[in-house]
Amino acid sequence: MTAHSVKSRINAVQELEALLDAAVDAVIVIDHSSVILTFNRAAERLFGYQQHEVIGHNIAMLMPEPYQSAHASYVSSYLETGRARIIGIGREISAKRRDGSVFPAALSVGQIRGVNPPRFVGFIQDFTLRKAAIEALRCERDRAQTYLDVAEVMLLALDALGTVTMINRKGQEILGYTEQELIGADWFELCVPEDCRAERRARFAQELQFAPSTQTESHAPIVTRDGQRRLIAWRSTPLQSDRGTSVGCLASGEDITERAAAEAALRQSEALLRSAQSIAHLGNYEIVHPDGPITWSDELFRLLGLDPSQGPIGILEFAERFVHPDDLGIFNAAWSQAYANHKRFDLEFRIRRTDGQIRYIHSKGKIDPHPAGQLVTGTLHDVTDRKLAEHEARVGQERLTHVARLSTMGEMATGLAHEINQPLTAIATYAQAAVRMMDAPGGADAADLRDALVQIVNQSLRAGEVIRRLRAFVKTRTAHSEQLEVNRLVEDIRILAVPDARVNDVRLVLQLDPQSPVIAGDPVQLQQVLLNLIRNAIDATCEHPGALRELTISTRPLGDGVEVAVIDHAGGITDAVAQNLFNPFYTTKETGTGLGLAISRSIITAHRGKLGYRPTPGGGTTFFFTLPQLVGV
Amino acid sequence: MKDKPSTVFVVDDDDAVRTSLRLLLKSVGLPVETYASAQEFLDAFDAERAGCLVLDIRMPGMSGLELQQKLNELNAIVPIVFITGHGDVPMAVEAMQHGAVDFIQKPFRDQDLIDRINQALEKDRENRDGLRERDVIRRRIGQLTPREREVLELVTKGKANKVIAGDLDVSQRTVEIHRARVMEKMGASSLAHLVRMVIEADRVAP
Repeated sequence: MTAHSVKSRINAVQELEALLDAAVDAVIVIDHSSVILTFNRAAERLFGYQQHEVIGHNIAMLMPEPYQSAHASYVSSYLETGRARIIGIGREISAKRRDGSVFPAALSVGQIRGVNPPRFVGFIQDFTLRKAAIEALRCERDRAQTYLDVAEVMLLALDALGTVTMINRKGQEILGYTEQELIGADWFELCVPEDCRAERRARFAQELQFAPSTQTESHAPIVTRDGQRRLIAWRSTPLQSDRGTSVGCLASGEDITERAAAEAALRQSEALLRSAQSIAHLGNYEIVHPDGPITWSDELFRLLGLDPSQGPIGILEFAERFVHPDDLGIFNAAWSQAYANHKRFDLEFRIRRTDGQIRYIHSKGKIDPHPAGQLVTGTLHDVTDRKLAEHEARVGQERLTHVARLSTMGEMATGLAHEINQPLTAIATYAQAAVRMMDAPGGADAADLRDALVQIVNQSLRAGEVIRRLRAFVKTRTAHSEQLEVNRLVEDIRILAVPDARVNDVRLVLQLDPQSPVIAGDPVQLQQVLLNLIRNAIDATCEHPGALRELTISTRPLGDGVEVAVIDHAGGITDAVAQNLFNPFYTTKETGTGLGLAISRSIITAHRGKLGYRPTPGGGTTFFFTLPQLVGV
Repeated sequence: MKDKPSTVFVVDDDDAVRTSLRLLLKSVGLPVETYASAQEFLDAFDAERAGCLVLDIRMPGMSGLELQQKLNELNAIVPIVFITGHGDVPMAVEAMQHGAVDFIQKPFRDQDLIDRINQALEKDRENRDGLRERDVIRRRIGQLTPREREVLELVTKGKANKVIAGDLDVSQRTVEIHRARVMEKMGASSLAHLVRMVIEADRVAP
């Protein structure tokens, strides 16, 4: 070996050492008996030993058990058999630092050729961080998988050919296929209904061309394993390789079959509500008073004749523009009372529509506190048609009642004519007697004359009273309610009933309760009922020869009410007659209208009372009606 | 013999009508008695008293028509003037059929009523005269033999002597003799007179 070659060798060794020291990995050289020959800087850093602490020592010092014990046998086994278990392969091992701590490391071992006995070089990498990173990565992957699996949407990855490369658990659930069945399958063949397969495939091909991170949304059906068709809301984004070629697409899909059905149902029910409001002429609103948002239903605009595009208006403007001036008072009163007390309101008033029509409105609603004022919710119901119908019905009923009254009076005409004729006869006779007395030769006796004149006055008043009652009874009128003493009612009807009774030779007996209970009602209508019952009783008595020719009219308290009864002693009511007794136009009289009892009953019902009949003990019929008694009057 | 003074009996349930009638009739000098009901009148009725009845046709209890019927049953001959209201014409007709003198509708002119009352009183006098005449006629009929009574009956039926002879199976001559004796016993001046007397005698059934 020349000096130069020695020097170059020294240089080579120095170079090698520098190289080793600069290496990132720990480099350790051992001889065939595992004695450490070289220990570079990285090794010093890794194991915490200085070179001099390890060189000349057995490499086993750097190993934890059981590697420590096993190592010698590995080396000797290799030397004996030449079969490497680690050399040229590299493996993960555990290594031990100076401080005794153990760490994972990657070891690759090479045999240094050309020396004998053989030497081995080992490269050791600290795996601590890498292991942690791998662990973190695995965790991340597992977590991602968990996310995929717990996601309540279907997550699906397709490659550029439309083959399924990933599907999460939810996707499997929805489709009814296992992961194995899906992965590798043609998505469009397997899971897209035939009728839209071509279209979806074409769209997929298009989407692949979109820029990455482009998100597209679509609703498209799928078909499940059991043939069910379900509607999915898709969001998809194309996947591209690093080189920018499209490699497929990632999509999330939400099963909206039920939601779509619910939405359709909601749309339908909203449409139904709109048409129901339109049919019922009922509009509703929600107003945050005074300055908050106002919502009106379509029908409300129509109801008022307003153009919806002009927007809804608030309460005060509504009152000013629409409420009929005559009803503004009740409207304002109801509104301010409800407003002040957070109460419900329920009132009727008229409005003047924009086209000038007057309509009747029934308005209901409530007022609740609201951060921005008061929340007013309510409805406006156009009840004009009902009002008119009610009016018609009321007028009709009143007319009919009047006709029945006239008819009753007609039946009593003979008696009434008699009742007026009597005082007229007396008047005429008194007057003629007076004239004769005055013409007599001695002149009239003043007392006789005075008596005649007084009688003339009395009889005139008597006739006038009958006519007044008659007029009050037969004139057209609108029903009204007032407080009535029930005995007074009976007494008042007497003047009309007695003549009829007299001409039919029937006696009227009154049995009036001394308390004379007070009721509320329309006097003429109630007299009409009473007169009708009396008339019927008189007729019944006349048709039953041999009957006691007497009627009793009684009043008496009964429970919370008053009973007025007309008691006859005639033939009673046969079953055949009883069946039709209260039917309009049913009559047993030759000249009857058949309205009397039907109308009497409706009058009493309208007075919250009852009209009925029962047999009179000992024969005959007792017709009665009861009315609620006014207490504390 | 001189009649007792005639009385106008007024029966009406209406106080005012009754009282005014009393005043009116008093003013023309007619004796008046008033009754408030048919029963009241009937209770006080005396067939011997001359006069007439002014009777309201419609009354509670016993009506005017019923009272008329009762009086007829009693063979009472008191003439009745019915006073009726409007619409009572059918009843008035019935009353006339049962022998009422007349009827008058309320209200009435005083003179009309007074005229009718006077007619009724006249009728009552005639009735009472007739009653006396009837008594005479009946007495005469009572004096006829049975055969003469048979002839009287057939003659007053307007049968000719020849027919009567056939009916009685006697000669026509015999009939003539009986007939002459009947005329004589009855005091009849002509056949017409005889017929009137028989009618008069039959007027009120014995």
